[in-house]
Amino acid sequence: MSDAYFDDENYGDEFESSSKPARVNLGIWKQLLAYATYYRTDVICLACCAFVVAICEIAFPLITRSVIDDISEKGFVIDLLRYAGIYAGFCLALALAVTGFLWFGGKLRSHISHDIRRDGFENLQNLSFSYYDYRPVGWLMARMTSDCERLSDILAWGVLDFVWSITIMTGIAGAMLFMEPVLALVVLTTLPLLVWISLFFQSRILKSARQVRKTNSRITGSYNENIMGVATSKTFVTEAQNLQHFGNLTDQMYESSVQNAIQAALYLPMVMTLGSLASGIALVIGGVELGWGVISVGTLIAFLTYSRQFFEPIEQMAHWFAEMQMAQASAERIMSLIAAKSDIEDSPEVKARLQNQTSQTLAEDGLSNNINQIEFRQVDFSYAVGGPVLQGINLTINKGETIAIVGSTGSGKTSLISLLCRFYEPTTGKILLDGVDYRDRGLNFLQSNLGIVLQSSHVFAGTVEDNIQYGNLHANHDQIVNAAKQAGAHYFIKDMPDGYTTQIGESGSSLSAGQKQLISFARAILADPKILIMDEATSSVDTLTEQHVQTGLKALLQGRISVVIAHRLSTIRNATRILVVEQGRIIEEGNHEQLMEAEGRYHRLYRQQRLSSLWES
Amino acid sequence: MPKQLFLSISLGFRQPYLFAILAMVISYIFLFMLPLISRTALDILLKEPSTTGNWLTMLASAAYTGDDQDSQTLALLLVSATISILLTALAGVFFYLRGYWIASASEGIARRLRDRLLNHLNHLPILFHNNTDTGDLIQRCTSDVETFRVFLSGQVIEIARAILMLLVVTPILFSLHPKMAWLSLASMPLLFFSAILFFRKVKSVFTRVDESEARLTTVLQENLTGIRVVRAFARQDYEIEKFAKSNALFREENKRLMRLLGGYYGFSDFICLGQIGLLLIAGASWTIAGELTVGTLFAFITYESMIIWPIRHMGRVLTDTSKAVVALGRLSEILSEPMESQNELSPQHRLKGDIVLKDVSFCHKGSQPIIDNMSLQIQAGETVAFLGPPGSGKSTIVQLLLRLHDYQQGSIFLDQYELSELNRKYARNQMSIVMQEPFLFAASIRENLILGRRQATEEEIHAATMAAQIHDSILKFPRAYDSMVGERGVTLSGGQRQRIALARALVKQPPILILDDSLSAVDTDTEAKILAALKNQQHHQTTIIIAHRLSSVMHADRIFVLDCGQIIQQGNHETLSEQPGIYQKLCLIQGAIETDIEQSAAMLTAATSELSE
Repeated sequence: MSDAYFDDENYGDEFESSSKPARVNLGIWKQLLAYATYYRTDVICLACCAFVVAICEIAFPLITRSVIDDISEKGFVIDLLRYAGIYAGFCLALALAVTGFLWFGGKLRSHISHDIRRDGFENLQNLSFSYYDYRPVGWLMARMTSDCERLSDILAWGVLDFVWSITIMTGIAGAMLFMEPVLALVVLTTLPLLVWISLFFQSRILKSARQVRKTNSRITGSYNENIMGVATSKTFVTEAQNLQHFGNLTDQMYESSVQNAIQAALYLPMVMTLGSLASGIALVIGGVELGWGVISVGTLIAFLTYSRQFFEPIEQMAHWFAEMQMAQASAERIMSLIAAKSDIEDSPEVKARLQNQTSQTLAEDGLSNNINQIEFRQVDFSYAVGGPVLQGINLTINKGETIAIVGSTGSGKTSLISLLCRFYEPTTGKILLDGVDYRDRGLNFLQSNLGIVLQSSHVFAGTVEDNIQYGNLHANHDQIVNAAKQAGAHYFIKDMPDGYTTQIGESGSSLSAGQKQLISFARAILADPKILIMDEATSSVDTLTEQHVQTGLKALLQGRISVVIAHRLSTIRNATRILVVEQGRIIEEGNHEQLMEAEGRYHRLYRQQRLSSLWES
Repeated sequence: MPKQLFLSISLGFRQPYLFAILAMVISYIFLFMLPLISRTALDILLKEPSTTGNWLTMLASAAYTGDDQDSQTLALLLVSATISILLTALAGVFFYLRGYWIASASEGIARRLRDRLLNHLNHLPILFHNNTDTGDLIQRCTSDVETFRVFLSGQVIEIARAILMLLVVTPILFSLHPKMAWLSLASMPLLFFSAILFFRKVKSVFTRVDESEARLTTVLQENLTGIRVVRAFARQDYEIEKFAKSNALFREENKRLMRLLGGYYGFSDFICLGQIGLLLIAGASWTIAGELTVGTLFAFITYESMIIWPIRHMGRVLTDTSKAVVALGRLSEILSEPMESQNELSPQHRLKGDIVLKDVSFCHKGSQPIIDNMSLQIQAGETVAFLGPPGSGKSTIVQLLLRLHDYQQGSIFLDQYELSELNRKYARNQMSIVMQEPFLFAASIRENLILGRRQATEEEIHAATMAAQIHDSILKFPRAYDSMVGERGVTLSGGQRQRIALARALVKQPPILILDDSLSAVDTDTEAKILAALKNQQHHQTTIIIAHRLSSVMHADRIFVLDCGQIIQQGNHETLSEQPGIYQKLCLIQGAIETDIEQSAAMLTAATSELSE
C-alpha cells in the first residue's frame, strides 16, 4: 500500500475524537522546537535575515517619501546621488538577506527533518515487535516521510515568517504612528477585521485541503489495489465495477478540490478589497490633512503603500496558525514514535555488564559465549490483545538436536518461535539459555546467534549477492556461492541474466516465492548461526527442489539447535523430536516412531499424507 | 502523443478556460485603473496645472457643488477613494469568477484523466502488468497527474497573466511618459533570461532531490517491511548506518537546492528593486525638471511593482510547464498501450465445461516455447490435475484458458467455441480461478466473497465458505463476515487467504473451476476436507487442479504430468503410480518415507538427473 494512503487524514480519526481541528498544544511544539534550537546560530542568523528583510521593506516607502517631499516642497532634491546611494544600499542589504534566509532556512529545514527522521528511525530499530503489530508499514512510512517534512516546514519557515511578520507589522505600525499618529490609528482599525477574515478563511481552506488530501490518498490506494489485483479483476470480470467505484472517488475529489479553490478564490478578493478600504481611508484623511498642510505628499504616498503592505503578514500568520492546528496530530504522533519505549530491552544489570566486558573468550554480555541448551520452563504467552496463545510450555532443546513443530494454523507454532527469538517475551515462566534466564543475557547476543528463514521470505532491493551477504557482512564471494549451493539456490542464480550480481527489484518482485525462500535459506546458512529456525520454509517449493534443499540442510543442521515448522511431514520426519502443538499446548512429543506408536494426532496427520493410506480409503 | 492526449482530454473544457482568461483580463483592467486614480488625485491635491478640467475633478464637483475649497477637496478624495474601493471589489468579483472557472476546468480534466487511466489499466493485457513496475505506474497515475493538474490550474493562467500584464501596462506607461516607460522596461530582458537560464540549471538539482528522496523512501520501506529479517540477523547498526547515509544525502541535496534558490532570489530581488529604484531616482530628476508630475511618478512605481514580480516568476513557470509536458508524455505512454480486444462473440448462455486443446503452442516473444504442441481433452464435470516441475507450463495453460495470454498456434475449444473467437469477459465469466498468492481487496470479507456474483444469497455464501473450510474462522473474527481485509483490518494467514479466495471462486458458481497451487498454505488435514467438499458439490463443475503435493492431485479423475510444455504422462493415480516414470518417483519421494531417507535421496538424484536431461 502506498504511504499516501496512510497520510494522517486517513488515520487521524483513530487518534482524534472528532474532525474538529485539535487545539494547538504548545507542549508538543516546545519539544519539537528543541530540534530547531539545537542549531542556535542558524536560528539566530535566520531571524536576523528575516529582520533585515522586513526592515528594508519598511525603509523603501520611507525613501520614496523623502524624495517626493524634497521635490514637492523644495522643488529640487539637494542630493539625488545620496538617495540613490541609500537606496542601492538597502537594495543590496535586502538581496543579501533574502539569499541568507533561504540559505539558513533551507539548511535549518533540511537538518530538522533529517534529525527527526534519524531519531525516529533509530528508535524504530529498537522497538519490539508488539509495536509493529498494530502499526502497518504504510502508517510508519507516512510518519517518517510526509509528517517529518511537514513539521520541519513549520519549524523552519514558520519561524522565519513569524519573525518577518512581527517585524514588518510593528515596523510599519511604528513608522505610520511616527509620521502621523491619527491617520495611522484610523488605518489600523481595519486590522481586527482582517485578522478575523484571515483566520476564518485560512482554517476553512486548510480543512478542505485536508479533505482533498484524504481523497487523494484514497485514489492512490485505489490505483494500487487495481494494479495489484488486476489479475483478480480480469478473472472475475469486475472492470466496470472497479471503474464505477473509482468514479465515486474522483467525483468526490472534483468536488472537494473545486470547493477548496473557491474558498481561496473568495479569500483573495476579500483581502484585496479590505486593503483598498484601508488605503481609501488613508487617501481621504491623508488628502484632507495634506490640504491643511499637516502632512506632506510624501507621507501620504508612504501611507498609501504601507496600508497595503501591512496586510501581507497577516495572511502568512493566519496560514501558519491554521497549519499548526492541522499538524497538531502529526506532531503528536511523531513525538510519540520517537519517545516510544521498547517492551524488550536489556535490563540495567545486563547493560552494566555489557559496558564492563573486556574478555576475549566471553560473550559481549560477560557470560559464556556458547549456547548448548535452550529450555522453556512453564511458559505462558499472550499478545497485548486477545486470549492466551501459549500455555504451560515445557521444552528442552540441546545442541545438535532438530525439533520439528507440527500443528494446524493458529495453534501457536509461530508464537513459540517468536518467543525463542525473544521477539516477544513470555507472559509468565522463563526461557533459559544454558540455565540462565534469557532476560539476563544481552538481547544482541541471542539474536546475533540466530539464523531465521521466515514464512514469507523477505528479499531486499539490491543484488542477489547483497541479499545473501546480509547473513554475514564479511563473507566473500566464494562463501556466498557456497551457501547458495548448499541452499539449492545456486542452480537458478547462475541462470539469471547477471548471475549473482542480478538486481532483484522492489521487494524482489522478479523472483518466484520459491526462489525467494531459497535465497533466504542461503542467507541463513551464510550466517552460520548457533540456532537455526525455519518457519514453514518449504511450503512453496516444489517437491524436487525441496528435496534438494533438504540434502543440503541435513549437513547444516548438524551441531546446531534447530527448530523447524513445516506442514509437509516428509520434511520433518528426520527431526530428532517432533512436537505436536494444538491450541497453545504441546499435546504430543517424541520421535516419529514413538508418535506413530502412540496413534494420536500425529499418527492421523501422517496417515493422511502416506500413500498407503489412499488405497485403504 | 502528448499533444493528442492534451487535445482529447481538454475537449469540452476549453470554454471555461476562455472565460477564466476573459475574467482575468477584466479584473486586471479594473486593477490597472487604480494607480491612475491615485495619480490624478495626488496631482489635483498638489494643484498641478495639467489637471484642471480633469474627469475626476468634474465628478467631484458634481458630487459637491459648493465653493468651499476644503469641501471640494474632501469631495474629490471621497470620490476617488470610493471609486478605488469599487474597482477593487469589481476586480475581486472577476478574480473569484476566474478562480471558479479554472478550478472547474482543471479539476474536470484531472478527473477525466484519472478515470481514463484506471479504466485503461484494468483493460491492459496481463503481460503489460507483469513487465511493469507497480510503483512506477502508481507514481505516474498520481504525481504525474498532479503535476499536470497544477499546470492546468496555475501555470496556464500565470503565463497568460504575465503576457497580459505586459501587453496592457506597456501602452499605459508609454501614454504617461515615454522616456520613463522605456526606463521601466530596461531590466525586463535581463530578468526574463536570467530566470530561464537559472531554472534550466536548477532543474537537474530538482531531479537530484527527487532521486535522493526516492532512495530514502526505498531504504525506509525496505527496512520496515523487512524488520523481522533485520532483527533476525541483529543488523540494526548496519541498517541505522545505511539509513543515515541516505538521510544525509537527502539533506545535502535539499540544502544545495535551497542555496541555489537563495542565490537566484537574492539576485533577482536586487534587479527588481534596483529597477524600481532607477525609476524613482530618474523620475525624481525629471520631476524636478518639470517633465513629470509627482502623481505620474507614483503611478509608474506602482505599475512597475505590479508587472515586475510576475516576470521574475516566469522562469519557474516555464520550468514547471516543461515538467508538465514530460508528465503528460509519461501518461500518454500508458494510454497508448493497446488494450485487450473486446469485440468478439459473447454468447448468452452458460457453458457446459468441455475443454479441448488441439496442438496448442505458446511462447513469450523470442523465448523458448512454454506450451509445445499440446493436445488434451477434458470433459464437463471432470476433475483433472496438472503436475510438473516449475516452468513446465502448468500455470500457462490456465492463463491461456482465461485468455490472459493468447495462444499462437493450434486451437482451444470451450464447448463448441474456439476460444480466440470468444469475448474475453464472457470466457472469464465461465471460470473461477484461485491463485497461490490470492489477492483480496481492502473491503469486507463479504464484499470479497461476492466479487464474482454480487447477487449471491447469504446461504450460497455460507455454502461456499463451508466447503472451503473457512466459515468457522470467519465467524471468529471480531465482525465476522463484515470484518475488513487488509492492513487496517484483520490479519489473515496464508492459508486463510487461500481458503477465502477459494470460497470467493465457489460463490461465482462457474462451469469451470481452476485451483492454481491454491491450497499450498493449507495443512493436509484441512485440504482433504476441502477436496472432499468440492467432490460433493451439487452442481459439479469441471475442475482443474495444479499442485506440488501429491495429496492434492491424487483424487483427480485424471492426472497430467507435464514437463517442458508437453504432457509426458497421463492417467489416474492408480495407473500412474504403478507405471515407471516421474509420477511414481514423486510418490516415492513424497509419500513412501517408511523406507530410509537415504534411499529417497538417492532416488531424488536419479529423478532430478532424469528431469534435467
